[in-house]
Amino acid sequence: MTALAAAAVWLQPVLLATLALRVAAGDADAPWLALGALIAPLVALVAPPRRASGSNPVAAAATAAAVTLVLAADFMVAADAATLLGAAPWLGVALAAALSLLVPLLPGARRVSAPALAIAAGALLLPLVSVALTTGTAPWTAWSRSGLRPSLTFPETSGWVRDGERFARPARLTFAEGQRVTTLTAGVYRVVERDAAEPTVREWRLAAGETLTLRPGDELSVEAGARLRFEAGRRVPGAPASGIAWADAPARSPSMLPAAFGALATLVGGALALVPAPRRGPSAATGPLVLLAATAAAVGWGVYAAATAPDLALGGSLLAPILWLPLRALGPRTGAPLAVLALVALVALLLTAVVALRARLADAAGSAPARWAAAVGLAAALTAAPLDPWRVLALGLGVAAAAGTPPLVAGGRAVGLVGSIVGAAVFVALAAMPLVDPAMGSWLEPLARYPALVAMPLGWAAARALSAMTGRGDATQSIVRK
Amino acid sequence: MSVPRGRRTAIAVLLVLLAGAPLLALAPAAPGAVRVAGVSLLWWYTGLVAPLLATAITIAVLVRRGE
Repeated sequence: MTALAAAAVWLQPVLLATLALRVAAGDADAPWLALGALIAPLVALVAPPRRASGSNPVAAAATAAAVTLVLAADFMVAADAATLLGAAPWLGVALAAALSLLVPLLPGARRVSAPALAIAAGALLLPLVSVALTTGTAPWTAWSRSGLRPSLTFPETSGWVRDGERFARPARLTFAEGQRVTTLTAGVYRVVERDAAEPTVREWRLAAGETLTLRPGDELSVEAGARLRFEAGRRVPGAPASGIAWADAPARSPSMLPAAFGALATLVGGALALVPAPRRGPSAATGPLVLLAATAAAVGWGVYAAATAPDLALGGSLLAPILWLPLRALGPRTGAPLAVLALVALVALLLTAVVALRARLADAAGSAPARWAAAVGLAAALTAAPLDPWRVLALGLGVAAAAGTPPLVAGGRAVGLVGSIVGAAVFVALAAMPLVDPAMGSWLEPLARYPALVAMPLGWAAARALSAMTGRGDATQSIVRK
Repeated sequence: MSVPRGRRTAIAVLLVLLAGAPLLALAPAAPGAVRVAGVSLLWWYTGLVAPLLATAITIAVLVRRGE
């Protein structure tokens, strides 16, 4: 397999869109997630190929689960795209699922996939280059300007101000200053008022066109699909308090280290389990270069979105920064074709990703078309649940890391199986903790969010210890994959 | 240096580069917040220096034939 084809497994639309949104929103973990999204697959490309003993039924089941969850996260992005374009979310899911079923079956799909990936990554960069050249703003200048703003407010040109926009998923908005919000869809809106010692909760049943007056400190709960209009010049609710807060995220503190390393362990482990080892040689350079271009594009979209339109992250839609940035930065005439180009690039990335995921599933669990159809169907069904796409992606990568990587360090098939069982069992136990005990201690929260942080090393430790005890294999051997 | 040893070294360097990001961001006194030419040290590191280094190291390993 070429390095470019191997990279296709990793470059999922949900990963790139999440990065763009997190950078635009000024999330505290955005910098290391952006770096992890690049370095994790690079580690997998460099790691040696797997030995014949590198698979077992538990690892195969984990790979199948991971492929299903990654697909589900991608389909959630498709639902976002449909919502942003004014269609029902299920339409986006149905279209993405249909393409995922059909495209991998087309003759030559795998052959065309690799060059298509390179073209898609280039197409994702092109609108950014256009924005940079037209506005005369280099990415570091855009970052610097964003970091110097006294406050993040709704511009006059914002869609949230002119015609109102929809929330792609449920949101709780905290208002830093008073604002009148017009509801454009009828529904029940819940407001928590915090101007007294005891918070007051009020529920308002509002018709389209009615207005809510919110005071500083109030918290408004919005359902997915609700359409709201805000006032121009007012602070964007939920956004960082200022440019400095966007740039330096006051939430960053040493207490975030476990979650940070949990996220990075999940990314690296997931990549080791899912990204195949490529052929070596001069042409292998294209894989890392395309990974660099795609992740740089995702960070660039986020930086320019934050500099141009800080309200783009408000609705929680992963695609808002990518679809609306060209329109806001360059106007409809120039921006619309670039937004369409970015959307086409994301669709191409989805198609190359599903071709690569199907190959990965066939490699791990057999190539029966029914297996792929079941994975796609289950993934589509999962989009009905109100889940965060990043959480779903992290679960997919995490289960692959926990159960799929222990065989890579095991001296034999049986030993690898034990490692996979330990990894999978710990992963499931940690991931289920919030369901069993919703009031669990805050120190356990990073482990529940990223169970692979503990499950993967325990699986490795079990496999290595058993290898050493049975004398099968060298317990100090390096990682091996296929 | 043999190819397997080169790979091991490359993986170790990549992981160190990766671990550098949260350490730079979350270390006491926030060294990552220091501005260099208007951009924070953290973003110079995670957005430019580490990605270019990591990509160059990976390409150097992948283009070597053998093993």
